[in-house]
Amino acid sequence: MNAPFPAIAAPPERVRLAGARVESASVAHFRLMVMMLLFIAATAVIAGKLAWMAVASGPAPTAASTYGLIPPRADIVDRNGVTLARTIDAWSIAVHPDKLMNPPEVVAAKLAAILPDRTEAEYLAILKSGRSFVYLKRRALPELIKQVNAIGEPAIALGREPERLYPQGNLASHVMGWLDQDGKPTSGMERVLDTRLTADHGRGRPVALSIDSRVQAALETELNAAMVKHSAIGASGLVLDVKTGEVVAMTSLPSFNPNAPSFGAVEDLANKSTLNVYELGSTFKMITMANAIESGVVTSMSHRYDATAPLQVGRFKIKDDHPQNRFLDVPEILVHSSNIGTARIADALGPERTAAFFRKLGFDAPADIELGAKGRPLWPKFWARTTTMTVAYGHGIAVTPLHLASAYAALVNGGVWRPATLLKRAPGQVPEGRRVISEATSARMRQLMRLVVMKGTGRKADAPGFRLGGKTGTAEKPRAGGYAHHSLISTFAGVFPMDAPRFVIIAMLDEPKGTADTFGYATAAWTAGPVIARTVARIGPLLGVMPSLTKDVDESELLPLLWEPKGANPNAVE
Amino acid sequence: MTGSTIQRQPKQVVRLGRADRSWYATWFWEIDRVLLLLVALLIGIGLIAVAAASPAAAGLEGKPPLYYFTRQLVWVGLGVPAMIGVSMLPKEAARRWSIWAAVVFALCLVAVPFVGIKVNGAVRWIGVDPIRFQPSEFLKPFFVVALAWVLSLRQQDRSLPVVPLSGLAVGLIALFLMKQPDFGQTVIFCTVWMALLLLSGVAMKWLYALGGAALGLIVLAFLFYDVARGRIMEFVTGSGDTYHVDVAHATIVNGGLVGLGPGGGVRKFKLPESHNDYIFSVIGEEFGLISCLAIAFIYLAIMVRVFIKLLDEEDNFLILAAAGLATQFGLQALVNMAVNVQVVPSKGMTLPFISYGGSSLLAVSIGFGLLLAFTRRNPYLTRSPYVVKWSSRQ
Repeated sequence: MNAPFPAIAAPPERVRLAGARVESASVAHFRLMVMMLLFIAATAVIAGKLAWMAVASGPAPTAASTYGLIPPRADIVDRNGVTLARTIDAWSIAVHPDKLMNPPEVVAAKLAAILPDRTEAEYLAILKSGRSFVYLKRRALPELIKQVNAIGEPAIALGREPERLYPQGNLASHVMGWLDQDGKPTSGMERVLDTRLTADHGRGRPVALSIDSRVQAALETELNAAMVKHSAIGASGLVLDVKTGEVVAMTSLPSFNPNAPSFGAVEDLANKSTLNVYELGSTFKMITMANAIESGVVTSMSHRYDATAPLQVGRFKIKDDHPQNRFLDVPEILVHSSNIGTARIADALGPERTAAFFRKLGFDAPADIELGAKGRPLWPKFWARTTTMTVAYGHGIAVTPLHLASAYAALVNGGVWRPATLLKRAPGQVPEGRRVISEATSARMRQLMRLVVMKGTGRKADAPGFRLGGKTGTAEKPRAGGYAHHSLISTFAGVFPMDAPRFVIIAMLDEPKGTADTFGYATAAWTAGPVIARTVARIGPLLGVMPSLTKDVDESELLPLLWEPKGANPNAVE
Repeated sequence: MTGSTIQRQPKQVVRLGRADRSWYATWFWEIDRVLLLLVALLIGIGLIAVAAASPAAAGLEGKPPLYYFTRQLVWVGLGVPAMIGVSMLPKEAARRWSIWAAVVFALCLVAVPFVGIKVNGAVRWIGVDPIRFQPSEFLKPFFVVALAWVLSLRQQDRSLPVVPLSGLAVGLIALFLMKQPDFGQTVIFCTVWMALLLLSGVAMKWLYALGGAALGLIVLAFLFYDVARGRIMEFVTGSGDTYHVDVAHATIVNGGLVGLGPGGGVRKFKLPESHNDYIFSVIGEEFGLISCLAIAFIYLAIMVRVFIKLLDEEDNFLILAAAGLATQFGLQALVNMAVNVQVVPSKGMTLPFISYGGSSLLAVSIGFGLLLAFTRRNPYLTRSPYVVKWSSRQ
């Protein structure tokens, strides 16, 4: 550059510096901007992904739980709003064996000390399995979670998962059903209502059953006490609203705990009120009598039927348990529960009218209720003359206790049969039903039922002031080739208050044994009857039925028809 | 009164005023206060985030809930003064010390395979528990400055083979990093080197060649390195063991747009490394995706601020050093955020100033202190005429 001053000139490589510097800065600045754009683009990608996540993840859940305030499965409550089933956030303990950080021996020893469900060797096998996920315990309690957490093993996963809780324990367990390990309903209303309980629009609102948990509890405890006292193998009980068909209580004993259904016996999982069919014995006499009055076979309560001797039909011989050995009028046939008298009336009715009436009451099909597990009645294959006579007093036909309850409701509510339901019915939702007997016949049946409790075999079922009416039924259990004389089904079908019927109550004991205070009797009057008396006294006020010593059914036209020998034991019952 | 004279006050210098020539006033006027504000924001967010993640991370290890938060407070207490102190260094001194420090930490890095401690299956640490550090973390900022110095020498003398020299240094460091192994740091070192080459005015053909080589390396790794192939295939197909990714995704989206609120997070308790690599997801759960977005923009703002400011700079070394430090800082943040939003496969990398870092927080602070030192500028200097090209005044 400056040739005249070579001495002070920079070496050639440095001479270009001044110009190169600006050029270099210019290139650097340009490339800086390119890099900045790259960074902006990269940030835009991340921002875009974040925005997409915000859109795709939907609305923010609340902090209360991982799935918000709406449970994954709706609650089930009783008719008064008491919780029967609820989904809670339970803890689960699982382990990722392939991600274990501590020595498996150490973790296995600690787990075995905290969770004794498995042995240390079993835990060690799990931890060394190299599997990616193994459940150690579900439905764990918080204290347990705290202890497991204190092990400090990151591969142990403590999770919250929805768990179905039945806070009332065994109460109405057969009505409720339960969920299996995967949360799928297996039976009961859980299964019936599954779609409704899990539907997006329904999960937030609980479903109200027709069950009243207080009535249910009273029925279960009284029935259970009788079952234990009489060493019965099972029991069934029902309380049914006669006007709406709502099942206020339904039980099957022994019950099980739906929170841990696997702990109970398998046969206890069946609902004896709707699945098992029984020959329900003399309780059917009321049905036969209603049919006879309705169809004009019995026109006068004072007409007498020959019960002087057992009735021989072909090779069958129909006997009375407590033979009166005289002619009995209609109220007397029921009060003394005469098989002979009832058979004679049924003979007059004939098979067609008997079968037709039973069909009207739904005895030829499984009970009309929501539950899935319903037993099909044993309907006579051939209606011989003897068949007509025996079904009239409840032998040769087997139905569920619920069939009987619905039929009794129709007999006393003015003659209209309605399907039973386990769902709470609003006043406008009650089905119209179908008329099976007239209003007048129904009124007569109310008189007769009350009379049986006042004067007859049902006296032990009477709850003072609650105007109970009903009919006992003691049936021998059928077995191969005949009947087992000491294996009984003792049933009482009652209605209260009889002057304005509101509820049917059924108590049934399977194979009760007599005790000292029942003088060895295992019949319905001695076993099922007292259950009714105690239960009604407890549930009457809960259901709004107030005891009254002044109200009652007008029995003035029937009472004179009962003949009582002088000095007769007023306590002699079936 | 009569004849009163106005008492002439001795001239008082307003503290931190423009006439104040004290060392701290000079610093205050020269420092980029916007950058300082942005980094203060990050540190504040970091403390909140570590407080949120601490119970989850400590819970998994059986430590007291705020174990990591209290330790983070200590590290911030060490890091912030270090950052301010470094930012006060004269640029010349900062450069000189950085070059020496780069040599020292490079030697430490070389020593790692022999005296290092094994943590989580990788030998990256030096020291005796609990006092230990990762040489690579500290080497990063100093190495960038050293690299900037070497590359700026090219301007002094074009005949110097600075590109091959710097390439050799990066290659050696990459070798030792991969030995640990630490793939994430290797990527950062190599990328920063390429960024500096780009800025130093190397012909584009060399950069294309390097880019091609990087691509080739990835293909080779895919073909012959099982771990890499597995990782890539899993990411592309979404198969394999996606436990980490699934949990992270569940966590970051769990809060929706506005979050579950401080301490309201539930998914974070299942998230490994919640205080560290996946703290961004914890922020997402508790403070919402909108907060994640805000953090991404803070990092971008820092980058843009530094880059724009460098348009006023003519000194090649300062451009390279500041841009390199910013790139290293921003790249690390971008990779971490990209992992958290599942844009790139999982990489062990912390979110600068926000993750619980321990000694690495100190390293990041020193690095940012260097950045502040190199972007310090007399506010009354005339602007480079070149800048005109980038403003509206042509």
